[in-house]
Formats: sequence, C-alpha cells, structure tokens
Amino acid sequence: MSSGMVLKKKKSFFGFLLLLLALFFPYIAPYTALASEILIFALFSMAYDLVLGYAGMLSFGHAAFFGLGAYATGIVLIRVYPSVPLGLLTGVVTSSIAALITGFLSIRRRGIYFTMVTLAFAQMFYFIAFKWTSFTGGDDGLQSVPRPAIGPLHITSEKVLYYFILSFVLVSLFLAIRVVNSPFGKVVQAIKENRNRAMSIGYNPERYKLGMFVISGFFSGLAGGLYALLLNFVPLSSLHWTTSGEVVVMTIVGGMGSLFGPIIGSMLIILLRDIISNFTQSWSFIMGLLFMGSVVGFRGGIIGVLKERLKFGD
Amino acid sequence: MSAQFIVIQLFNGLVLGCIYVLLSLGLSIIFGMLGIINFAHGAFYMLGAYTAYTIGSYISPNFWVAFIFTPFLMGIFGAACEVFLFRPLYKLPPLYIMLFTFGLMMVLQDAIRMIFGSMGVPYSTPDSFIGSVNLGFMQYPKYRFFLIIVTCLFSIAVWLFLSKTKLGAMIRASTDDSMMVDALGINISRIITIVFGLGIGLAGLAGVLAAPIQNVTHLMGMDYLIDCFVVVVIGGMGSIAGSIIGGLIVGEIIALGILVWPPIAHTLIYLFMAVFLLIRPRGLFGREAFHE
Repeated sequence: MSSGMVLKKKKSFFGFLLLLLALFFPYIAPYTALASEILIFALFSMAYDLVLGYAGMLSFGHAAFFGLGAYATGIVLIRVYPSVPLGLLTGVVTSSIAALITGFLSIRRRGIYFTMVTLAFAQMFYFIAFKWTSFTGGDDGLQSVPRPAIGPLHITSEKVLYYFILSFVLVSLFLAIRVVNSPFGKVVQAIKENRNRAMSIGYNPERYKLGMFVISGFFSGLAGGLYALLLNFVPLSSLHWTTSGEVVVMTIVGGMGSLFGPIIGSMLIILLRDIISNFTQSWSFIMGLLFMGSVVGFRGGIIGVLKERLKFGD
Repeated sequence: MSAQFIVIQLFNGLVLGCIYVLLSLGLSIIFGMLGIINFAHGAFYMLGAYTAYTIGSYISPNFWVAFIFTPFLMGIFGAACEVFLFRPLYKLPPLYIMLFTFGLMMVLQDAIRMIFGSMGVPYSTPDSFIGSVNLGFMQYPKYRFFLIIVTCLFSIAVWLFLSKTKLGAMIRASTDDSMMVDALGINISRIITIVFGLGIGLAGLAGVLAAPIQNVTHLMGMDYLIDCFVVVVIGGMGSIAGSIIGGLIVGEIIALGILVWPPIAHTLIYLFMAVFLLIRPRGLFGREAFHE
C-alpha cells in the first residue's frame, strides 16, 4: 500500500471519528447548548479559515458578518415573520452583501492595512447596533428571538436544535471542502502562495480574494443566524472586535488552512472556557495566557501536532 | 446652536484628539519597527491610568508625582515586556506576534480586574487644575488646557528626538532597513527595546492624562485602541506627522459628530476612513509599500 493511500485512510478515519463525536456530542457534552455553541463556532471559524488559511488574508473584522447574520435573522424572526428559513436566509444574504461591500473596499489594501480596515468596518457595524437602540436593542442586545417550528420540526427542544445546527454545519463543511478544491479555490491558494505569478498568468487577484471573502461572509452569517436561534437573543458582543479576535485564535490554535483544524480549535477553546469559568471568574486571564503560550508552543496548531505525530501530509 | 457651544465642542475634540495622538504615536513607531499591530496597546494605556491611581492613593496624593513617574514606569515595563516576552518571537510571522499581543491584552485587563474589581476606580481632577480658564467668550476647564499643552510638548519632543538626535536617526534607519542597520554594527535589539519603551511610555502618559477625564476601568483601552487604528490608517502607518494630524482629525470628527447627532459620532470616523481609503489608500503621510 502506498503512503498516499495510508494517509488518505488515516484522514478519513479521523474524519469519521469526528463525525461520530458530532453525532453523539449532546450526550457527552456537559449540556446540549454547549455542544450547539461549539458547532456554531466551529462553523464560524471554518468560514474564517477560508479567508485566513486559504486566501492568506488576516481579517480582524469577521465579527461583523457573524453579528450581522445574527441580528438580521433575529430581526426578521421578531418583526417580520416568524419563519426560521426566512430568517436564516435574510441573515446569510445580509452578511454576504456586507462582506461584498466591506471586502471590496478593504481588499484594496494588503497586509496589516487590510487587517485594520476590516477591523474598523466591523466597529462601524458595532456602533450602529450599539446606538440604534430602537431597532437593535442597543447595549441589551436583541431580546427574545423566537424559535418557531419548521413544519414538523420543533427546534424549541435543545437536542432537536443541536441536530438542526449539525445538519447545517455538515452541509457547510462539505461545500467548503468543495470550494477549496475547486479550480476557483486553487486559484485563490495560488494567489496566496505567489501573487505576482498568479497575476502574470492572467488571474485578477483582487476579484478572487473578494470571492473567497464573500463566501466566508456567507458561512459566517449562517453561523450568526444559528447563534441567534440558540441563544434566543443576540448579544451586542457578537459584533464586538473581541469576537473577531476569538475566531482568529480558534482558527490558529486548531491549525489554519485545514478546515478541520478550526473545528477542533473552537471545540477545545469553548470547552476549556466552560470548564475554567466553573472554577474561576478569571477565565479571560487564563485564556490569554493560553493564547500567548500557543504562539510559543505549537504554531502549526493542534492539526499541526497531529500531522507530525501521525505523519499526515497536507 | 450657539457659536460658543461649537467652539467648546471643538476644544473637546482637541482633547480627545490629544489622547489619540499619544496612543497612535506609540502604536505607529512600534509598528514601524516591527511591522506588527500591538493589540495590547490599549491595555498599556489602561495600565497607565491604574498606575497613576495607585501612585496617587498609596504613595503621594500629589498629581505631579503620578504624572512624572507613570510614563517612566510604563516605559520600563514596556521595555521589559519587549526583552522578556517579544524578543523570542521575532523570527515568527507577524500574525503570531499579533496573536500574542491579543493574549497579552486579555491577561493585563483581567489581571487589573482581579486586583481592582470590575467597577473601575475613581480619579478626580488634580487640585491644582480645578476650575476653568476664562477666554473672554467662554469658560474652559483648566485641566483640559493642561492636557492639550502637555500633548503638544510631547509631540514636539518625540518629533525632535526622532528627527534631530543620533539615536532618533538610528531608529528611523532601523525602520527603513533593520538588516542594514544591524550590518553597520548598531545594536538593533537595543533600539527595538528603546522604541518599545518609548511607545509604551507614551501610552502610559496618555493613561495618566486621561484618568481624570475618563472612567478608569479595566476595559477603558479597548475601544480607544480601535479608534487609534483609524487614526493610523488615515495618517499613514509609521508616520509621526500622520499620527498627530490623524489623531486630531479623528478627535474633531467625533466631537463635531456629537454636535450634529450623537448616535452617529463614532460611526462617522469609520465612514470617513472608508472614504479616505478610496481617495488615498496609503493615508496622509503613508509611504509606498511600507510593511505590506
């Protein structure tokens, strides 16, 4: 058996393990809502990885798409019509449009400048939500988002909601893998590796990067919409820049550029946060130390460590 | 709306702008040196305010003691952070160092919360600056005048230091090409330490200056930090003049925005930044292809 096949078998074995874990997770996790939260952040950080790991763009404003998706979904469910599909669709469309506009403007700048511009745009949405109290609830967040039944599906039950979210996450993961391996995804990665060469072949890097940015915004919005359903409310903090920071950390701790890495990273961080916050109020102190340590300790992320131990390829 | 009210608001914008200037100067020179954004910069600013509070309540209630020692202590602390925390990381891509500063920010903020509580601490206007100055057509608080003057003096001092002294020339040279400076036999790591100490010291100065006019809480630096990113984007990264002019512009936009319609004040600066990016992508004084 060639090493390539062994590799593939190992990979699919781990993928299968992860799927198995996901299926039984609500019964293992301390409580179901925590399992759902992990799924949502797994989806969010996976979406983020499309931008950071595959397009090489360090966005620090992804909270905007997550939060906008959550707010749009919540506002539709409360004010327009209590339909989950309509709410999620609105959320996803809103985030995608926001990603298109802010992406169009910020991709004009590269490197650190790009990072700061995305951050500033996200703050803009944060301040709008903060100040427009009559529409968004302001500091208190968007209260009492309903969970209407979808046909025969009653997502008021936490377990049902978990599997509802899981189905979205699985479909999104499948789509993301398809995107990454598509000709479009390959071009994006080529631009990341060598921008000038990709340009000289005739690709327009800005357009491809923008495409990936919008796809990422789409999935981030979906994660946000599901988050609104899970919490029954939208916290203002979903738009705050620390949320952007958290998703960066989850992606890097898990291992960027792998899609599966961010899933593991968000699982680890949210679980740890839950456990630590049971013992002490100062979980943010410990998490901060952990982030600093992870930079020093394992830069390839958890996936990197796994790869080394198990002799995985890329 | 009276003209007097507009002038007062212009002055308020200037005061706010001064805080931005001091913070952005530090942010910008550290960026120029290392090519990283220091996410912990807002936390250092907060630490400056708390240092001033600690000095004021345990060592001497005289404001001048806190005013003189806080920037020094913060500068030493910043230099120590550089030597012990950041130095081992320079071989890494900027992304990881930024993540590191993000973690450092969380640690510093939470440490202060653990020590002083989450409600913040009271900090009153220093005795010698109570009252206001009569400008003939309006009254304006003495302390705010003091803040504006101090910022002016320090901005000029930083500018003179960087443009006229030998050490300043070394710093500017290292910003342009640190390898070459190293090859010329100048101890580059000492220069980085100095730059860090200077930048964090300025953040400490901003902290002690802002303490009497701001709520001193462990989260006071968070949103200021992002506003400073707008300042450096508008002014141009790594530029001293850019930080100063950008800081004042952002301060005035917020102050005038409050005059027009308070809810939009903060949103305005981000809109302004977006427009600015379209017209002039490198900011006012930004250089071509600098750390891109």
